Parts: sequence; C-alpha cells; structure tokens
Amino acid sequence: MATDIQISIVGSAGDGTIAAGDILRNALAGMGYKVISFDVYPPEIRGFGKCIARMRITTEQAYSLKHQSDVLVSLDDSHAIPHAGELRDCGALVYEQKSLVKLPEGGHMSAHVGPGQLPYPVPIRELSEKSTGANRSRNIVVLGFLAGLFNLPAEGFRKAIGKKFRNKAAAAEASEAAFKAGLDYAAKTFKLDDVTFGPPVSSVVAGATVEMINGNAAIARGALDAGIDTFFGYPITPATSIMERLAAEMPRRGGRLLQTEDEISAISAVVGAGFAGARAATSTSGPGLSLMAEMLGMGVIGEVPSVVFVSQRGGPSTGMPTKTEQSDLHMAVYGGHGDAPRIVVAPTNVDGCYRCAGKAFEMAEAYQTPVIVLIDLYLSNRYETVVFPARPPFEADLNRKPGKPAAGAPYKRYALAADHVSPRAIPGDKGNMHVVTGLEHNELGRPNDSAELHTAMSRKRHEKLKLALNHPDFTKFKRFGDEGPVDVGVISWGSNFGECLEAMLRARSEGIRCAAMKVVMLSPFPTEAVAAFMADCKEVLVPELNYQGQFANLLQAHVAKPVTRLNRVSGEPMKVEEILEEIRRLAGRGKTAQKAA
Amino acid sequence: MANAKNARHHVVIGSGVAGSQAAETLREREPEARVTILTLSSLLFYNRYDLPKVFRGHRDWREFLAFPAEYYKDHRIVVRRCSRVAGVDGPRRTIALEHKEEIRFDTLLVASGGRGYIPEELAEFRPLMHPFASYTEAVSAAAVVPERGHVIMLGGDMIGLDLARTLVDTRHRVTLVAGPQTFWPHEVTDDERPGLIAALEKMGVEVIESADAGGIASIEQGARGLSARRVLFKDRTELYGDAVMPFFGLSPSVEFMLGSGTDIERGLLVNPALRTTGEGIWAAGDVCQIWSDAEKRYRFYYGWKNVRAMGDLAARNIAGGDEPWVPAQDEKLHIGSDGKIQSPFWEYE
Repeated sequence: MATDIQISIVGSAGDGTIAAGDILRNALAGMGYKVISFDVYPPEIRGFGKCIARMRITTEQAYSLKHQSDVLVSLDDSHAIPHAGELRDCGALVYEQKSLVKLPEGGHMSAHVGPGQLPYPVPIRELSEKSTGANRSRNIVVLGFLAGLFNLPAEGFRKAIGKKFRNKAAAAEASEAAFKAGLDYAAKTFKLDDVTFGPPVSSVVAGATVEMINGNAAIARGALDAGIDTFFGYPITPATSIMERLAAEMPRRGGRLLQTEDEISAISAVVGAGFAGARAATSTSGPGLSLMAEMLGMGVIGEVPSVVFVSQRGGPSTGMPTKTEQSDLHMAVYGGHGDAPRIVVAPTNVDGCYRCAGKAFEMAEAYQTPVIVLIDLYLSNRYETVVFPARPPFEADLNRKPGKPAAGAPYKRYALAADHVSPRAIPGDKGNMHVVTGLEHNELGRPNDSAELHTAMSRKRHEKLKLALNHPDFTKFKRFGDEGPVDVGVISWGSNFGECLEAMLRARSEGIRCAAMKVVMLSPFPTEAVAAFMADCKEVLVPELNYQGQFANLLQAHVAKPVTRLNRVSGEPMKVEEILEEIRRLAGRGKTAQKAA
Repeated sequence: MANAKNARHHVVIGSGVAGSQAAETLREREPEARVTILTLSSLLFYNRYDLPKVFRGHRDWREFLAFPAEYYKDHRIVVRRCSRVAGVDGPRRTIALEHKEEIRFDTLLVASGGRGYIPEELAEFRPLMHPFASYTEAVSAAAVVPERGHVIMLGGDMIGLDLARTLVDTRHRVTLVAGPQTFWPHEVTDDERPGLIAALEKMGVEVIESADAGGIASIEQGARGLSARRVLFKDRTELYGDAVMPFFGLSPSVEFMLGSGTDIERGLLVNPALRTTGEGIWAAGDVCQIWSDAEKRYRFYYGWKNVRAMGDLAARNIAGGDEPWVPAQDEKLHIGSDGKIQSPFWEYE
C-alpha cells in the first residue's frame, strides 16, 4: 500500500512545534519513508507567534506539500483554529482536551472540527505534567500519541528523540516519559480516521546515505563537499543557518569562517579570498544582496571566483522576513551597475541545493566569475529525504593555471583567449605577478579605458559565461511529462517547481496533454532548450511567487512567445490546485474554462 | 442573515435520535437561527439500533451514519463533538463545557439520552464487561468475540435482546443471565414472564434466572486456555464466555443539569409540551419524564419512534408551538405467531 500522508503541527513559539516536527520527520525518514517538509516561523524574534511544522510522508517521490493535511495537531488552538479547514475529511484532528483558562464561544478547537473530520481531544498538558512534572513536553506527548494512533514503530521515534537531545540527559529522560505517556494514551483511543501508513519502500543504492535535510543544510553540505575553505557572512533570515552549519563544520575541516560586521564586508572578503585562490562563499538574503551589488561588480571585472548563496524572502526592505517569495530574480540576474554578468543558478529541491552549491564552486572557478545560488525561504526551510552519493560529485580544482612564464614575457592575467577564459594565477605564483583592479583594464590587468579594450573585455566577460551552459554533470534545465507537442507547458524555477510538477502530473492524469520544464540555470539562460520546449506547447504557463513575473520577464527577453503568467505573493508556497486549475483553463477544461466559454 | 450575531441560538445537548431530529426541525422552522448540537460522541449521529450489525461484519463507522457530513454543512447545523457539558446556568442562559468554553443560548433542548445502567453490586467488575451503548463499544465488543463465540448477557433489556437476536442469527452462543430488567423498558407481569422467557429460549437464547443461582458473585478473567471471562454465581456454579455484556436499562444523563434551575427526578421533568421548569429549556428523549395527565405521574417513553417524535415536538414548540406530547408507538411486548418475542421498541426506520 502506497503511503501519502501530510501531517501539520501548529503551535505557538515556545511550544516545541518545530522541534516536534523535526523529531517526527527524522523518525519517519529513519523508517524509510520519503519526507518533504516545510516549517513556518513567526516574524517576531521573541513572543508567541505562530509556528507550523508541515510534512508530507510518502513511499513514492513527492514534489510539493499537499493543499490539505491528513493529520492536524494543535499545540495552541488560537493559532491552529484558522488552519482547521486545511484538514481533509476523515483526517485526524488532535488537540488539547481542556483549556487552563475560560474560553469564549469558539475559543476551543472542538468548535472548529468540520463534520467530516475526526476529533481526537487528548489531555496533552495533563499527560506531560503527570509523566515529567512539567508541561514542557507537550510536543513529545503528541508524538507518542501519533506513534500509537498510527501504529508506527516507537523505536524509530525513540532514536530520533535520543538524537535530538543527545547532549541533554534530563531533557532526553523527560522526553522518553512524555513519549510513553502519549503512546499509552493512544492505546486507549479508538481510531476512527482513515490515515494508514503502508510499509516504507527503500530504494537506496549501496554506499549512498539517506538523510533528512533542509535546503540550507544541503547548501552547507554541498559547499563542504566541494571543498569550501573560506566563508564570510552576516546573519539574515532565512539564510542564517547556512552560516551556522558551516561555522560548526568548517573549523573541523581546516576551513575558516568569520562573521563580518555587515554584508559589504562579507562580499568584499569573499572576493579577496577568491582572488587569493580560496574556494570562498557568503550567504545572505535580498536586503544583503542589495548591499553586495557593488562588490559583485568587482568580482565580475576582476574575474574572481566567488559564490553567493541567496535565500529570498518577502520584500522589499525588511518586508516579510519569515515568508517566502521569489522576488530577487531581477536583482540576482541583473542587479548592479555596468554590464556585470554573473552565473545564477536556482535549484528546485533540496537535492538540487546540494548539487548547485557544489557546482557553484566548480563554475566560479572554471569561468572565473561570481556565481549566485538563488533559493528562497521555502527551500531553505524545506526538509526532504536526500540520497547522498558515496563520493561527492564535485571536482576539486578547475582553475585554469598559467603555464610556465616565458622569459621576459609578462603574464597576461586577462588574456583574450579563444574561449574567453584566461589562465588565472594565484598571488604568490612565481613569475606571474599581475594587477587586479576595479578599473577597466588590458590583458595585463593595467587600467585602460580605450573603446576597443572595453568592448573586447565586455565581450570576454559575457561570452565566457556561455560555457556554463555546457558545464558537465549539472542539470541546467529538465523537461517532464509528455514528449512532443502538448496543449499546456508549465515552465517554472526555484522552489515553486515542485508544485508545478505535481500540478502537471495531476493534469496528465486527467487526460490533458502537458509537460513541465524546470529551469535551473537562470544566467546564462538556456535559450535554445527553453525555446524548443515552448515551441512544443500550445499554451505556456509560468507560475512564480512574485508580483512582477520576474522569471516570465527573463523568459520573454530570450524567447518571443506569449506566456500566461500566474503570480502569487501570499508569502506561502503556491497551491497545486491553483496551478492545476490554470492548466485546465488553458487546456479548455474545468470550471474556469467553461465559465469563460 | 443566517448565523448572524443577532440570530437566535438554539442549542441541543445530545446527538442521538431526539437531538438530531430536533436540530433538523429547528432548521426547517427557523432558517435564520443558529443551531448547535453538543455531543460527547466522536462521531456524527448514527443509529444505535443498527449497532448489532457489527456482529455481521460491519465495522466501518461510515456505514452507521444517519447522514453524510455534507448534510450538516448544507443544513448549517454545527455539531460540537467530544464536548462534555459541565453545567448549565438557566437564568444566565449559558452552558459551561468541561474544556472551559462558555456557550450562550437562547433556547436549550436537553436530549442527552441515557447511559447503560450497571447495578451497584456489579460496578467493581465494570472493566471486565463489554457494554454496547455506542459505536466504539460495539466494535470493541465484537472484536473480542470470535466466530461462533459465547456471549454472556447480564440483565438483558430490550437493547440487549435485540443484540441477542443478531448474535443467535450469526451463530454465536448467547447465555442470558435474566433478572428484573430482562424486558426493560416493558413492564411485564409475573404471569407473562415465563412465557416470554420460553419465547427467548425458542429464539435460541440460553436463559439462566439469576435469582435461581443466588445472583452473581463475581466476574473474573477466564483461565488460561479457556474462555476470556468467568461468571461466578453465589450458588458456586460458574459460566465461561468470550465476553460479558451488561444490559440493565438506561440511566438518564442529567447530572450536568444539577443547579440549572430545572426540576429533576430521575430524568428532567417536563410538561406535556416538553418544556422543563427552567426558562427557555426543553427536554426530549430518554432523558425526560413527561407529565401524563392520564396516569397522573411523570413517566419515561422509550423507543425510536417515541424519541424521534419527542425531538420533533420539542423543536416545534421551541419554534413557537404549544402542542402536547402524544406517544408515537405502542409499548406492548408480545409473542408473535412464530413463537418469538416481538417488541415495538425494535422497530425503526
């Protein structure tokens, strides 16, 4: 029996909502299920804002979260009540049986259980207090209850709890007691919902490892596996945990990490380290990328390998720091003064984060330029089960080294080579002394602003990037679904592609001829492949999480074919149903199409 | 505008036959009003008369629901499940739920029914018995009785005897430990009883008169390798079975109405229009005792037809009517031409 179950845990900051989600997804991934998960945090650093841990557990690969959950757990009714409608009929709604304080009418979850939903009021607080002497373990009580209700192996949960609290003996002991209390309570509970876990399916290749990991952690791991040795950064939501992970790991591997005073310092130091031959990177979000724009230009003109991980959030300005959005594409691709081309890649899932992070260092080095890896909060915080290969799939050194200098001949750092990539000497290389400047320069690197040189150097900086379109062992784009001519083609990018893929697959199951293409390489743009795909499509739909249709703009700058834009700025991932309805409409099916007719 | 803040709020406690019928009638009569049902049950209204079907292999709760979920959405009837009422403040017109929520009502219909009564001398053995008053209890009981298993039925009211019919029909062995409540709620004379017991035996039920064995001394866990339960009688005889199921009639669920300002005897006392002594509070179903002018006493009326009619009448009167209660069914137990017992309380639609 195939498993496809979505669980949402909703609570207040301090309830342990995210921690419960973390343990649950790790336990389930450890059992062999595929998990895709996305947590929502409140924007306030302190206080009692809403937290949601939401995960989809499957035996077959899933690409996005579902619109409706099969199980909804409330750790705080005031936050969970607005989400009660997200639970499907015959799904399980677990909530605190009794409030501590008097509630007005409608203040308790029982008032919001839909007629088709199945209520499970559990004395969560009481069980926590009885088993541990405190109410802090309510989240773990709930995990015990879920394990019991769905007949999941308790050992898997115990392992995940043990791992979570491995350095906190008292918390581990309390959690064990709380888990058992929830488990025992479930044993006395009559199961009414139809949520059933089938056996997990393991398809792991020998030597590979499977891990439950989020986008930011995958970025950090990709960077480490690609041999990052220097990192400078300044914390910003939602990118901070990239730096935090690297801070824990890099010193153990002989690397260096420094938290700088701001983003300008961070990118300056990264460009400096790249110049010095390091595999160097920084991480930031939209506001930080704005500050880095000038120094990225320095990286471009100096042809210095440097990697910038950017996790987008709702903007502009401080905007919605804990909400997702894909509205920094224009800035990533075009931002900055002058003609400053750079490589921009946007992974579409957590595995892609790992691969893009590692490949970013290869490309930065191979094409001597800044590379931006563009993700967003949805991908930063999204957990997926990822299969890591036994050996990291990244090359250690792709720098084009200069040959032995000929006697008396000066080293041309910016030689106008046939493929536009010049041999790059690292400072200290004997006989290869050269100048690097932010000024336009000649082949030697010496300032020169002649029209001919500026034209030649501009061409060099742009043309060499096209090589990245053939960078080996790296997915720049990919087509899914029907081959050949289709009625509707969906093109998307970044975190939003999972929803697009799900929608396309569902549309196909409804008999609509359709296909989807993900575009990972945003700059340089894979025009030929995208144009070929669009030529196959009667209608082209471009869903994305921004108001302007930034990817659609990019697309139309390269391919002159009209597209239908689907833009949302809700701060939440796009709903599969919305995309599906648009596909139906474009295919002449469904309610909307009928209405229009 | 429906469900607006100023709309009348009719609250019904209980989602059984009476409460559900009342909610439907209230919705019909007052399309703009808010109608809320409070119930302890995890499930929407299901017909408890259908529960014996669990022994015919029907275990999915969806098969027992009287209406699909959409019915409640379409009729704008809010069902608050798993909601235990802690108390009712009649003068303030508020209901306190055990989970600390307070609900205001304009009118209240108490249709909380009754729970299975267990005689005091058997109360200590409750954990070893399998009651049969709800869907979950029915499924739990069915789960412990194997095919052709043996059920020991204590008491044997008309709910139990209805189950006994199904058990015999499905080739289970049924031993009835008969007592004063065996034909509850029918009132049976000493002269009628032997014939009715004989009719039960003709139906395939083994009958032991509890009084003949000196009453039940204890109920125990069965011995290893034997059946799951042992019933010991005071005359030291014993009986082994797979499950022991108590059927001693119903006890009205009215404890939450103490202090509400309504008069209570065993059930809530109501006038022939089903109005209690509390302002704005009505009662219907197994929970209420209706004044009978003919009998000059308050009395209960049982059976699916009566209970449904009470729910309907109470709702009509809540909506402005003033009609008196007229029983909807015969109460006489009789023996059919096939020699088997026929009870009007087993009839339902």
